[in-house]
Amino acid sequence: MSTAPYLTEQGKVAGRLMEKYAKDRRLEADRLNEPVLWARDSKDAKILVKSFMMDDHFKIDFLSDVTAYDNQDGEDGEKRFILVYQLYSLEKHIRIRIKAPVDLNESAETITDIIPAANWLEREIFDLYGINFNGHPNMRRIMMDERFEGHPLRKEYPIKQRMGFNDNVHFHLGGHALHVDNTLLEDGSPANTQALPEGEK
Amino acid sequence: MTTPKPNVHTLQDFYNPNVLINLGPSHPAMHGTLRVMCRVNGETIEDAACEIGYLHRGIEKLGETKTYHQWMVYTDRLNYCSALNNNIAYAMAVENLMNITPTERCQWIRVICMELARIIDHIICVAINALDLGAMTVFWLLYHWREEAYTMIESMCGMRLTTTYARIGGMSYDLPDNLLERLWKFCEEMPRALDEVEGLLTSNRIWIDRTKGVGIITKEDALKYAVTGPTLRSAGIDHDLRRDRPYYTYPELDFDVVVGNNGDVYDRYLIRLEEMRQSIRILKQCHDKIPMGPLWVKDKRVNIPEKMDVYTKMEVLIHHFKIFMEGIDVPPGEGYSCVEGPNGELGFYIVSRGGPKAWRMRVKSPSFMLFQAFEQSVKGGKIPDAVAHLGSVNIIAGELDR
Repeated sequence: MSTAPYLTEQGKVAGRLMEKYAKDRRLEADRLNEPVLWARDSKDAKILVKSFMMDDHFKIDFLSDVTAYDNQDGEDGEKRFILVYQLYSLEKHIRIRIKAPVDLNESAETITDIIPAANWLEREIFDLYGINFNGHPNMRRIMMDERFEGHPLRKEYPIKQRMGFNDNVHFHLGGHALHVDNTLLEDGSPANTQALPEGEK
Repeated sequence: MTTPKPNVHTLQDFYNPNVLINLGPSHPAMHGTLRVMCRVNGETIEDAACEIGYLHRGIEKLGETKTYHQWMVYTDRLNYCSALNNNIAYAMAVENLMNITPTERCQWIRVICMELARIIDHIICVAINALDLGAMTVFWLLYHWREEAYTMIESMCGMRLTTTYARIGGMSYDLPDNLLERLWKFCEEMPRALDEVEGLLTSNRIWIDRTKGVGIITKEDALKYAVTGPTLRSAGIDHDLRRDRPYYTYPELDFDVVVGNNGDVYDRYLIRLEEMRQSIRILKQCHDKIPMGPLWVKDKRVNIPEKMDVYTKMEVLIHHFKIFMEGIDVPPGEGYSCVEGPNGELGFYIVSRGGPKAWRMRVKSPSFMLFQAFEQSVKGGKIPDAVAHLGSVNIIAGELDR
């Protein structure tokens, strides 16, 4: 097939990464020949995201994805989880992937303050892997119920484990816990129709 | 015994700025199991919080416990309005990991499938969006063509909604003999329905009042919240993966990328209508250009043997069993492949440690980002606007919650 313009741009990326960023970091290519840069930790990954957005050679302006995977078998270093940032440039149509190892019981650094799109993605990682993000505005579960225990995408979580819940549902409005009185008046109407977010009382 | 108190509503209740309204999760206008908690002041939504996960089935976890072949059926259940698109995107991701390029004919069939899926998805979005706002006729006009498209898909793979048409390295069946004729007829007649819809809506005073300037996602917000697809293009950003990072035979096809500029519901509606026309343009070219030839790659690792040979030849029977009982062996490595789905960038990030099962199967769904942006952009609008807004971004719960 004919070569698309993005391929020539993508070809330049590895050179620039090698020259400027990969001095003390590991640079790899994945099966699609796209660059994967290993950050030292999640703090370093955040610095990398920031500097890629500044770098005119990349013009990174778009966050495709933030995710993680379990490194239980230790194939990718000693730390337990690997955070994966997929970055994209809408102008140059290039992709760069940053990977950052995070250990069990270690908190990662949030990138919500740079790219707000990471908000839900980081919540999903917290929910499914149990990685806590420092400075995240709303670090709550997103997929699973709030009463759920455990983190289902960890390798040790059995696929057929089930969990029952009792009936006390918590109410939230964004990051604020709501104090909703569920008791009913004698005529069946709710006692409290004015639920106020915490701190706005 | 006390007499029950009469339910007194005072003016103070009426002007209460902190009334909570819960939209969803089971509500006909919420398109699946989406839930939005709104704090309203009068009719204006001042604060909104989306709750998701009501359709969470652990598809990513299942991807780590099923073989690559078995997981194909789960991709149907992501965006169930355009299952073909998901099948092909997934097959493409695994093929990229294995360094397999599908045959010429297979690539053309896949492009046909993806464009048909795009048309179906856009039909659903526009029709339901109009239905939510009270325009029933549009729904009937467009759904006739959706039905027609589904009948075509049925003749291709035997199923309508959950297709599982793609296979790693090929397709489960070749196109039926009369499909290209039917496709041509579809391409000739379907735009007439689009013309009728356009006549009904585009300059309709009520439609314009309900959609123009409603549910605006600005250029900055679109970038900040990383939305993709028609929603990104409606904000004035010219980006389409089919053109910018072409895959399969898209470089040989002639089509325009539709870009809006206001980022409101009306722009998204226009973009979807025009994208359907562009898809039809692509389908017509596919009809002319699709070559004959082999459907399957000549790769022993993935090639599913002919059924007749399985019944009559010993070695082929063993090969067949190896593929279906053990699965295909994907070499260690990782890759992120994405296609321009009807609603945006649908990506599969697969980490393989070798063997027939993925180590990590990540689905990057467009709906997830769209709903996050929806949470922000719905603030400041009215409650009926929220319904119009939600319908226009076309969030599919199956893809959102995975």
